[in-house]
Amino acid sequence: MTVTAAAPAGVAAAPASSALLRVEGLTVAYGRTHVVSDVSFTLGRGESLALIGESGSGKSTIARSLLRLLPDAGAAHGRVEFEGRDVLSLPERQFRPLRGRSLGFVPQDPGSSLNAVRTIGAQAQEAAALTGERDAGTRRRLILDTFAQVGLDDPGRVYDSYPHQLSGGMLQRVLIGLAVLPRPALLVADEPTSALDVTIQKRILDLLSELRADLGISLLLITHDLAIAAERADSLVVLRDGVVQEAGPTAQVFAAPRSAYARELQADVPALNPDRYRALRETRAGSAGDPGSAEATEAAPRIELRGVTKAFTVEGRRLTALDDVSFAVRHGTTHALVGESGSGKTTAVRLLLGLDQADDGEILVAGEPVHGRSAAGLRAVRRHLQLVYQNPFTSLDPTWRVERLVREPLDRFGIGDRAERTVRVREALAAVGLAEELLARRPGALSGGQRQRVAIARALVLRPDVLVLDEPTSALDVTVQADLVEVLVRLQAELGLTYVFVSHDLALVRQLADTVTVLHRGRVVEGGEVEKIFATPAAPYTRRLLDSIPHPSGG
Amino acid sequence: MTAATTVVGSWRTASARAWSGAVPPTVLLSFAVLLVVLLWSLLPGVFATQDPVNGVPADKLLGPSAAHWFGTDHLGRDLFARVVHGTASSVTSALVAVTIGVVVGGAIGLVAGSAGGWTDVVLARVVDVLLAIPSFLLAVVIVSSLGFETVNAAIATGVSAVAVFARVMRAEVIKTRRAVFVEASVLQGGSRAHVLLRHVLPNASRSLLALAVLQFGLSILVIAGLAFLGYGDPPPASDWGLLVSSGKDYPTAPWLVYAPALVVVATVLSVNRISRWLRRTA
Amino acid sequence: MNASYLRFAGRRLLQAVVVVLLAYVFTFVVISVLPGDPVTNTLRNPENGFTEEEIARIVAYYGLDQPVVVQLWQSLSHFVVGDLGVSLRSNLPVTRLVAEVVPSTLALAASALAVALVLAFAVAYGTQNLPRRYGQGVLRALPSLFLSVPAFVVGLLLIQVFAFQLGLFRVIEPDGAWATFFAAVALGIPVSAQVAEVLITGLDHESRQEYAAVARSRGLGQARLFAKHLLKPSSLPVVTVVALTVGELLGGALIIETIFGRTGVGSLVQRSVSTQDLPVLQAVVSLAAVVFVVVNLLADLVYPLLDPRVRLDRAPRKAAGQPGPEQPTPEQPILERQVSVP
Repeated sequence: MTVTAAAPAGVAAAPASSALLRVEGLTVAYGRTHVVSDVSFTLGRGESLALIGESGSGKSTIARSLLRLLPDAGAAHGRVEFEGRDVLSLPERQFRPLRGRSLGFVPQDPGSSLNAVRTIGAQAQEAAALTGERDAGTRRRLILDTFAQVGLDDPGRVYDSYPHQLSGGMLQRVLIGLAVLPRPALLVADEPTSALDVTIQKRILDLLSELRADLGISLLLITHDLAIAAERADSLVVLRDGVVQEAGPTAQVFAAPRSAYARELQADVPALNPDRYRALRETRAGSAGDPGSAEATEAAPRIELRGVTKAFTVEGRRLTALDDVSFAVRHGTTHALVGESGSGKTTAVRLLLGLDQADDGEILVAGEPVHGRSAAGLRAVRRHLQLVYQNPFTSLDPTWRVERLVREPLDRFGIGDRAERTVRVREALAAVGLAEELLARRPGALSGGQRQRVAIARALVLRPDVLVLDEPTSALDVTVQADLVEVLVRLQAELGLTYVFVSHDLALVRQLADTVTVLHRGRVVEGGEVEKIFATPAAPYTRRLLDSIPHPSGG
Repeated sequence: MTAATTVVGSWRTASARAWSGAVPPTVLLSFAVLLVVLLWSLLPGVFATQDPVNGVPADKLLGPSAAHWFGTDHLGRDLFARVVHGTASSVTSALVAVTIGVVVGGAIGLVAGSAGGWTDVVLARVVDVLLAIPSFLLAVVIVSSLGFETVNAAIATGVSAVAVFARVMRAEVIKTRRAVFVEASVLQGGSRAHVLLRHVLPNASRSLLALAVLQFGLSILVIAGLAFLGYGDPPPASDWGLLVSSGKDYPTAPWLVYAPALVVVATVLSVNRISRWLRRTA
Repeated sequence: MNASYLRFAGRRLLQAVVVVLLAYVFTFVVISVLPGDPVTNTLRNPENGFTEEEIARIVAYYGLDQPVVVQLWQSLSHFVVGDLGVSLRSNLPVTRLVAEVVPSTLALAASALAVALVLAFAVAYGTQNLPRRYGQGVLRALPSLFLSVPAFVVGLLLIQVFAFQLGLFRVIEPDGAWATFFAAVALGIPVSAQVAEVLITGLDHESRQEYAAVARSRGLGQARLFAKHLLKPSSLPVVTVVALTVGELLGGALIIETIFGRTGVGSLVQRSVSTQDLPVLQAVVSLAAVVFVVVNLLADLVYPLLDPRVRLDRAPRKAAGQPGPEQPTPEQPILERQVSVP
């Protein structure tokens, strides 16, 4: 349907014969399970195309079928024409020379994409060998030049390093370098930035755009992020459950999506919809809607950190995780803690919940200090202060059933009798939008979104005042994230909850938080009202974070 | 609304998982083999009607036939009957060994892993010592000091398996104690004992179960080895290892060695298959 | 060789010494649980032909008239300086008895280990590089089968086929080349199963890793991928596993030496068990523990040099990394390291 309409889209300006890559009716199956069904698209020379989809959409499977890197159990059918040759029907012996030389691949997780027990140089030599250069010294120079080209500061040191000695951003630069070194005609990048911090994400994407322009390499970008795709690709293919939902030039698909799924996807991406929850948030009882009101500012903050400092000693070295951090959260509002990895936001959460003790400073919950409490005292604080973890796949005991998981806090705090606990468990589940049939399930039989709802229900069942949400949606798909955020905002309006929302995603923060503290290497860079900071960021680091939010040209 | 859609989505994944988790045929076969072994040990008389102790001297050293499935030995006793009647002793002693290993080793591992500190250091050295002495040699020394009986062979095998269980249990406890859901339980007001008994133990015992099954197979082999060397009950007992040992003196009647050996191999192979399956699905 | 490695090595060495001493004490306790007084019983057995003076000398030497704790202390202090006492049966120094049989058993164990490694690597190579339809499944089932067959059955089978049927060796010449070879095969097969299991698991794991796919995307074929990328990380755990199987080789020698009629540590143990020659038993068990501990110590000391990922200092992974309080400690001696039990 839309596929045929889309076929000429990516190459609108060029005649079909000059297409570099033409995929027709590609179907991939594992046994009887089809993960990709009848997918077609075309990519012209020097063009870029993005495959967009959430987990299970088959986007990575398509990438791997093009490179013939599917696991043995997977079978691909259809036609994949690359430079006029049908890739799928070539014998392995004839296909292998294409890998690397003509088809470059940039993987998703740089941390696991290089052999940990070999030096980077040894692995780079494999890529350099593809150029046909015989002299080892020349190959080494070629590698070092490429490392410099992809923005690695000290190519010689990188060459001699083992992968674990470099950061994720550096490794991804290495991998991009190795992929472009033999000057392939097409670069397949499978979620090249999803494992990286936001500011590094932007730099890697910029690097890919640059290389594409300088070297004339076509780019097939696989991503779950519609905003990134719209910003970086000439044309888009939207996938769901292995089926193309919509395809066409970016401007067209992005500005006026025709399929329901593409519209939903667009509505769910935080970067594109800063005001998505505004109406719902304004129903909250007069607290945050009017931040300037006298009542709101005068009331004692629900949570307050004053000059909190925490350092860890690691093998004699002292590392300051938090340095003189202060912020306050008013009752019934959402405060966001924003930062990249290593910013200290997780440490702040642990101190707040009394899981670690601060070296210096004060932490107050409802005016009462958390610091220096006995175990019983901490227990009393935690009853009103609950935590939702980042990863719902690790925060629920896999041997327990949902009912017992949600009831655990009631049992531990000895609240109500059996009947009352049952009622409260069901109420909590209903509040997060989970059906009662799930009560008897174990976490293994739930989806990621369902698990996170169970975790939220477990936090709510004690009827706390404050929820600390530690990146609660970062392990989930965008559409699932949007549903979950909606649940959170609604619960806040209904129950008057106070949220401390930890996130690396500024676009998401803009959607739901009232106030924000930006952390960088353990220090507060900037803090205050979300709207003010987004409009006029004072610190350069905040500006860099804001710049890393994708700005699609089509939007 | 939104909840309904996610519920539908998960039904599909849940049922797909249930299908892919179907029991493979080789595992079913393994369970069947173990069922037969279990029945032999519970009701030997039903499966082998001939006398395992008193033979018919005229029928000595007969090859396998319809009348004597596994042939007869040098005293004219039906070997099949001897194998079936020796099952209970061979299987029970392996069970005793595994029980000792699981209980003692599991306790050491649990304490070491949950207490940490000096307790852990001391227990770790104790386990190192048990591990350092070759387990078969240790079993021989223990059985020679307790007396040459099958029960003692079982105890010796159990003691020599303690180290393995302690190590695995300790590692599992430490791994689980670091799990996020354990910290979550603490945040919800769970006491130390609650966390240990309700969260850590059930999660850690999954790997322990797979190991226990595997160790059951190994114990059958070790006890058979001890019986082979004559460190178990003397004849007319018919432990599997003992049958092989007495059969080796008659090279002209190879079935005396290979029939009981096949039974041992089939049993242990089945046990190993099930253990592997448990590890995959855990 | 940096300071943290030396600290690690020093601590590991100390641990090893402690374990050896504790193993000696443990063995002593197990052996002295024996009911009755087998030592003096054996000594006074007229068959052994000890004179009263000799008996008195031996009793004094072992301090048999002393409380158990004192006996233990004396025995231990002799052990520390390398004095293993005197055999109750033959009145010869235990050191000499043991020295006589050790070379034969060492040769057997070393050949068995060689057989095990060759077999394991061959099987593991086949599971990765043979085409799927040519018996990969059979190769994958082999380790499980090898682990299920008692060593004595393998031994008897080999003798039956190669000595009785094919006449390759004669049972009355147990030290001949073929006899030694087949004894090594019987002893090595269970060990090969464990090594192969670890190798295959490792290779399967490594070949599923993202880096393997990325290496393929650089145009590497299966053969080069296997040789350059997969083999090293999969073989590293073999160091640990081989060190742990040393005990098995020594224990298994007991049975294999009996079957093949070889003279060695195994036959010495058997003789000592049947004659209650406790000093010999104590010596053999303690020496086996020493061998095990030394081999594992070496494996532990070598491992960090082979695997670049092992860091002995507890510094955080990356300078920018979150110095979380739950940093796992990378330093983990082999005895505590989790090895998948095949």
